[in-house]
Amino acid sequence: MIYSSELLKGTLKTIVLKLLADNKKMYGYEITQKVKELTLDKIQITEGALYPTLHALESDGLVTTETEFIGKRVRKYYSLSPSGKTKTKEKVSELADFMDTMKFLLDIKPKTA
Amino acid sequence: MYQLSDQQIDYIFDDISARGVEMESLQQNLLDHVCCIIEQDLEANGDFESFYKKTIKTFYKDELWEIEEETLLLLTYKNYYTMKKIMINSGITAATFFIIGSFFKFMHWPGAAVLILLGMVIGALVYLPLLFLFKKNETIESRSKFVLAIGTINGILFCIQSLFKVFHWPGANTMWFVTLGLFALVFIPLYFFNGIKNPANKINTITTTLILIILAGVFFLQTSLRPRFSVQKKTIQSDQHMEDSYHYASEQNQISYNLSATDSSNNKESHEKLKLTCNNLCTKIEKLKFYFIQQMEGDSSISTISYQNLENSGNSSNYDFPTSVMFTENGDPKQALKTLKEDLINFNSYISSTYEQNSSKLINLSSQEDEEGITGSWEKVKFYRTPLLCVLRNLTQLQLDIRFIESSCIKHHCN
Repeated sequence: MIYSSELLKGTLKTIVLKLLADNKKMYGYEITQKVKELTLDKIQITEGALYPTLHALESDGLVTTETEFIGKRVRKYYSLSPSGKTKTKEKVSELADFMDTMKFLLDIKPKTA
Repeated sequence: MYQLSDQQIDYIFDDISARGVEMESLQQNLLDHVCCIIEQDLEANGDFESFYKKTIKTFYKDELWEIEEETLLLLTYKNYYTMKKIMINSGITAATFFIIGSFFKFMHWPGAAVLILLGMVIGALVYLPLLFLFKKNETIESRSKFVLAIGTINGILFCIQSLFKVFHWPGANTMWFVTLGLFALVFIPLYFFNGIKNPANKINTITTTLILIILAGVFFLQTSLRPRFSVQKKTIQSDQHMEDSYHYASEQNQISYNLSATDSSNNKESHEKLKLTCNNLCTKIEKLKFYFIQQMEGDSSISTISYQNLENSGNSSNYDFPTSVMFTENGDPKQALKTLKEDLINFNSYISSTYEQNSSKLINLSSQEDEEGITGSWEKVKFYRTPLLCVLRNLTQLQLDIRFIESSCIKHHCN
């Protein structure tokens, strides 16, 4: 099952920030692959959602970039800025809290093994 | 694993640009991304072009530039709250400056000009454009956006032209006509026909349009009251004529003295007294006029009275100046004015006793009706709470009266 883009929309920033916190520096393609790998293909981040988010994070000062030339093309690596690191913690705990609330709200029972 | 050639990379880059992506960093990101996918997923001998076309299609729903649009949207959304804050604050600041400035101007306190200028500039160049940006996003139709743009331009023009008007800068009238024309002939019709189309807004549109038409009418009415400046110019011209007449009358009287002096010698003494009395009185009044003009222009070196050269005569802050010089706070005449009146009374009695002039040929110092029909003493009607230019005119008239009486007295001698 692939989750709908509507569900992902509000969590994409958090996902990207958390990945950068765990992996130091990453480029766009790497991020999409990593998400695919970690979620066993359940979450596939589209290019159309990823790059606008990365640009917004950059202009917010949460991530910094460095470029690397690979032949004729330029690869842009993203890494967390100090303020991005604190923001990541906030965002992750906010999402965790949100998920708890959603569980309660939608009355989702934990799966019994 | 596929190996991309430089030409293929150029091809992809050109294609991304051709598809409408213009931000450089986004172009580079997408290029690298596509290249990674191709290198990873295409077999070494695979078909590059068809694989690329298939891959790039997965990036978007309709067009590739959607990604750039989304990016820009996110970037501007970040500024949304800051902009909204600036808009509201600038609006409050502009209104505050304007109201306080107007009050200062009304009270003739210093700093009024700066406050009004700041208020208008902030209102016209910060608040209104920002307001337009926000309102623009609320409407979808491009027609409504156009109407909004015209309305904003009209508002900005209105503020700027008010500045021109308040500070008497040249071109204010032209700007006023442009603003009014745009408002009445472009904005109101556009607003009306755009709004009336929507059945939900019909009543609202009609009401607002009517209010706007009334507003345009009120503005237009103001326009017809406008030629104040030229009226003032004309008044100044006639003031100058009166001044010239006075000097002419003085010269004529001097000539008459010279002529009569050769005729009979027995009048010589009384002529000398008449001449001296009249000259003294006129000089006294002349000094008072000079004092007022020097104070008004802030230049004590002025030595000839030339109304055309007066720069501050239209300045309303001079309005009460003569009153403060000639009257106490209770409205009683000060000593200088009392002395002047006494001199004039003495002059009248001297003339009437010496020349048996009837009262119609003397200076009228009795109580008179002012412009509102209220009877007041001579000095109150002529000088109290009277604009400086009118005070000067009344003083010149006094000098002229003295010269006319003098002239008829010389003739009396001759007869």
